[in-house]
Amino acid sequence: MPFPAASVNECVKRGWIQVIEGVTAKATWHGMHYTCNRCFNSNQLTFTTFECAQCETTCAYCRNCLNMGRVSRCSELLIWTGQAPVYPTNHRMNWQGNLTPSQQKATNELLASTKQSISHLLYAVCGSGKTEMLFQPIHYLLNEGKRVCLAAPRVDVILELLPRLKTAFPDTVVEALYGGAEVEHYDAQLILATTHQLYRFHEAFDAIFVDEADAFPYTADETLQQAVKKAVKPNGPIHFVTATPSAQLLAMNKKQGNISILARRYHGQPLPEPRNVSLWNYEKQLKKKKIPSKLLRWTKERIDNQQPFLIFFHQIELMELAETLFQQLDSRICAVHAEHEDRKERVQLLRDKEIPGLLTTTILERGITIPNVQVAVVGAEQTIFNKGALIQIGGRVGRSVPNTSGDFVLFHQGITNAMDEAKSEIRKLNKQEVPR
Amino acid sequence: MNCLLCNKPLDDQPTWQQLLGIAKTSSICPACFNGFERIDCVEEDEILDSVHSLYAYNEQARDYLHQFKFMQDIALATVFASELRNVLNDPKKIIVPIPMHPVNKKDRTFAQVDALLEASNIPFTNYLQKTTESVMGEKTRAQRLQMTELFEVLADIPNSELVFILVDDIYTTGTTLRHAARALKNKGAKRVEAVTLFRPIREK
Repeated sequence: MPFPAASVNECVKRGWIQVIEGVTAKATWHGMHYTCNRCFNSNQLTFTTFECAQCETTCAYCRNCLNMGRVSRCSELLIWTGQAPVYPTNHRMNWQGNLTPSQQKATNELLASTKQSISHLLYAVCGSGKTEMLFQPIHYLLNEGKRVCLAAPRVDVILELLPRLKTAFPDTVVEALYGGAEVEHYDAQLILATTHQLYRFHEAFDAIFVDEADAFPYTADETLQQAVKKAVKPNGPIHFVTATPSAQLLAMNKKQGNISILARRYHGQPLPEPRNVSLWNYEKQLKKKKIPSKLLRWTKERIDNQQPFLIFFHQIELMELAETLFQQLDSRICAVHAEHEDRKERVQLLRDKEIPGLLTTTILERGITIPNVQVAVVGAEQTIFNKGALIQIGGRVGRSVPNTSGDFVLFHQGITNAMDEAKSEIRKLNKQEVPR
Repeated sequence: MNCLLCNKPLDDQPTWQQLLGIAKTSSICPACFNGFERIDCVEEDEILDSVHSLYAYNEQARDYLHQFKFMQDIALATVFASELRNVLNDPKKIIVPIPMHPVNKKDRTFAQVDALLEASNIPFTNYLQKTTESVMGEKTRAQRLQMTELFEVLADIPNSELVFILVDDIYTTGTTLRHAARALKNKGAKRVEAVTLFRPIREK
């Protein structure tokens, strides 16, 4: 706890802090039913009971949010109920860029929803400049003295957004919260946080923007969705920003919120459509230490044309097998996955054209821009490559001027529904009317 | 169920062997389990008649003990249940866990060695009591060697011919275990052995 115990006790005495138990137990006919009051987890499999030496009873703790320090039945959670902090209302926005007419339209709609406290879904294709569209609504909220949170499921996204927001709002106290972050101002007016960190907050923000709202683990973990709802003040809006909204998110915002669709990239060129190419028995061939010929031809073409490339795999083991084979083609080709600590450096090497290409898992499916990158997916029929993932992967291609298009090839052994859906979704978006 | 360490789903297809209790059920995934390096290092000296350490104290072991002891994740006590049972299943020997000072135990909310043994279903007797609140991990080697008595024996030893096995989570310099063994031997115990889960091994 960042405060001395004596001053906390004083606040409790004055009624400025409400104390609640960490884990609530409810007796049912089939035993105790536990709920964690920090992360709202109530999956009984994630609670462990034990004889506690502190409360000297059978105690239980929550393993869902264990990483943030254990919360058990005998631990106490503190909620500030005293006077709310007062934030400055004069914030400078230092951002010179221009929004395209379609970006400006979406921004105005998002701003209108913010003023009315209505949840808004900003459904904008990959490479349409989503972050920039948030600046005006955030600026409005800050000038109203409101506290704002920009949340994303992945720490990479937070780290990428932090410098951009600090430059955009130079006078504002901005703080980033993620696992292992060094935090100075927990009470900052503008907070960037991984969705996990929102477990810590209780009705703290006047508005929350959830970026990449379809990314793992946010969609898979219900407690994260609860955490976002818990962190926002009652009636505060929760806005979602994504390129690939789930059917659930679309339905929710159709019912109780607003939606803006931005179908064109900032440079106005259509999204690259995927090209399906069969690649039978690729797994077997790779295990026999042979790169399948179509894949080999594609890769050689990229190297000869000096185009940087990304090849996506569904499985780390298979990718590492392929890595040694590709290195015989060019020794600088290497692989990245979630546990590689230097994956940022390797992506940078690709941008700097120090290496011809990277093999990767879905970890690089979103949030990165590499000029003129060409993309292949090996085993596009695998379940991990769902519609959203394929659209995101395709979104890496043709993001920047002058290379506004590129090759997006799906090597498969059988076309799945997800592949068809991704293709028709991209076609549909490309056909949308663009406001001028 | 998910792996207790990496939280990935466990491949726990029900099998007949499992139902009949022949196959052991695991609480962590094979990848995490393979991160622990089995060494079965046995050492003997005058005070401790034998010290058996099961695993090397590598990075995986450090993360495990961190989550178990400092993040207070008592669920992890089950990870080595069957391995500990295999080593300690001698009914003729008396199992004595290295205790924690009551104040420290209250802070941690459980005593880690007792938790390990309880999770393995191994009967044990608390013969020892810690007399100081100081913790080994915070001391230098020189400070450890200078320590006065760390333990006192709570009960009389019924039969000096019995073999005692001390159990601890980690063997570093051996100060703790030697103090405990000396305390038991001063009360008349003839043979005192020890089993620890981890032991650091020097890089070659």
